[in-house]
Amino acid sequence: MGERAISRVPDAPGTTPDDLLSAVARGDEQAFGKLYDLVAPRVYGLIRRVLRDPAQAEEVAQEVLVEVWRTAARFDPARGSATAWICTIAHRRAVDRVRAEQAAADRLEFVGRAAVDIPYDAVADEVSGRLERQQVRRCLSGLTELQRQAVTLAYYQGHTYPQVAALLGAPLPTVKTRMRDGLIRLRDCLAVS
Amino acid sequence: MTTPDVHGLIGAYVLDALDDIERAAFDRHLRECPICQGEMDELREAASELSGDAWSVPPPALRGNVMAAITAVPQQGFVPDFKKPRKKPRLLIAAAAAVLAAGGAVYAVQEHRVRVEQARADEVTALLSAPDLLVRDEPVNGGGTVTVAVSKLRNAGLITLAADAAPSDGRVYQLWTIREKVPVPAGTLVPGQTTTMQIVEGIDGASDVGVSIEPPGGSAVPTMPLAAAVHL
Repeated sequence: MGERAISRVPDAPGTTPDDLLSAVARGDEQAFGKLYDLVAPRVYGLIRRVLRDPAQAEEVAQEVLVEVWRTAARFDPARGSATAWICTIAHRRAVDRVRAEQAAADRLEFVGRAAVDIPYDAVADEVSGRLERQQVRRCLSGLTELQRQAVTLAYYQGHTYPQVAALLGAPLPTVKTRMRDGLIRLRDCLAVS
Repeated sequence: MTTPDVHGLIGAYVLDALDDIERAAFDRHLRECPICQGEMDELREAASELSGDAWSVPPPALRGNVMAAITAVPQQGFVPDFKKPRKKPRLLIAAAAAVLAAGGAVYAVQEHRVRVEQARADEVTALLSAPDLLVRDEPVNGGGTVTVAVSKLRNAGLITLAADAAPSDGRVYQLWTIREKVPVPAGTLVPGQTTTMQIVEGIDGASDVGVSIEPPGGSAVPTMPLAAAVHL
């Protein structure tokens, strides 16, 4: 199902997420429908990974996609891809929700649960073998253990860097630095892929 | 924090691993550093690739719900990029006009408050005409904008909130100024209220303005995460 949604999209002009988002900014609802088909699995999947609750993920994904519609005119193609712009909104919203939940939850219990969660395996059954997934994993495996942990604990689980430092038993400055150089290494790996 | 210290947070910023105050500090850093902006864009692009690993088919009902929702949601017009300098008169006037327009809704209310409101309007006009007026705005989580206009000369500021929707469950927006890392209440809205305009005297000591979501009547300390934060 997921495979088809991606592979049926031709690379013709006017149908990339960037083109579609520009059309959406001009109020094109049909373009928004096409954009939805391209990005919704990524948006929903990311939010679900962070929140780990399908019902909440659906709610937040709807908020995010409506925000994409509402604020499409803010997208600046000179600064990055439409997909990255949308994922940035999605990730921020998911993290905000997780923090709000977390404020109400037992912190120790939360950290205990988080420590045993293995981010890779949550939805492995659904999309195993997809190209992008393999590429991301290959590049992640090129990071040092600490870089990989710092990046994935923050990105997939919505932890703040002090929380990541506590989980890893590493000093705060080290975690900050590993997040940055981990992302730089990831960027360089993805660029040559 | 010195600039190199702040810049070291770029990885954590891109991963959304900062708290609201640090995020606001980093936003300010970005505005002053075009090169950092470029690095941030690149790292953000890389980080968003991580979402490819989380790819998951959404529930079928989501598409219909979203498509139905957007027909009722107006789109924002072109928004000036926040990284452009705010000092340009054209932008400043536009921002001041937006502040006044948002305030207009507040003025339109009860008759018996007209005189009080007129006095406030004069105060607002005096503040907004200050020669050193600095205007900053940030989006409100959930839609809308909080705009803060500050004059060091008059040692006063104007916080304007124009949220798209009131907080859920009867909760309310509350405004704060952050002074030496201590949040000081700067006004609480009533349930259902989405816009307000608040003059803050003695704004000089404040480093940030925050908007939080609180139980009716407000709280003594802000509930995290903030709905919006503006670094001054």
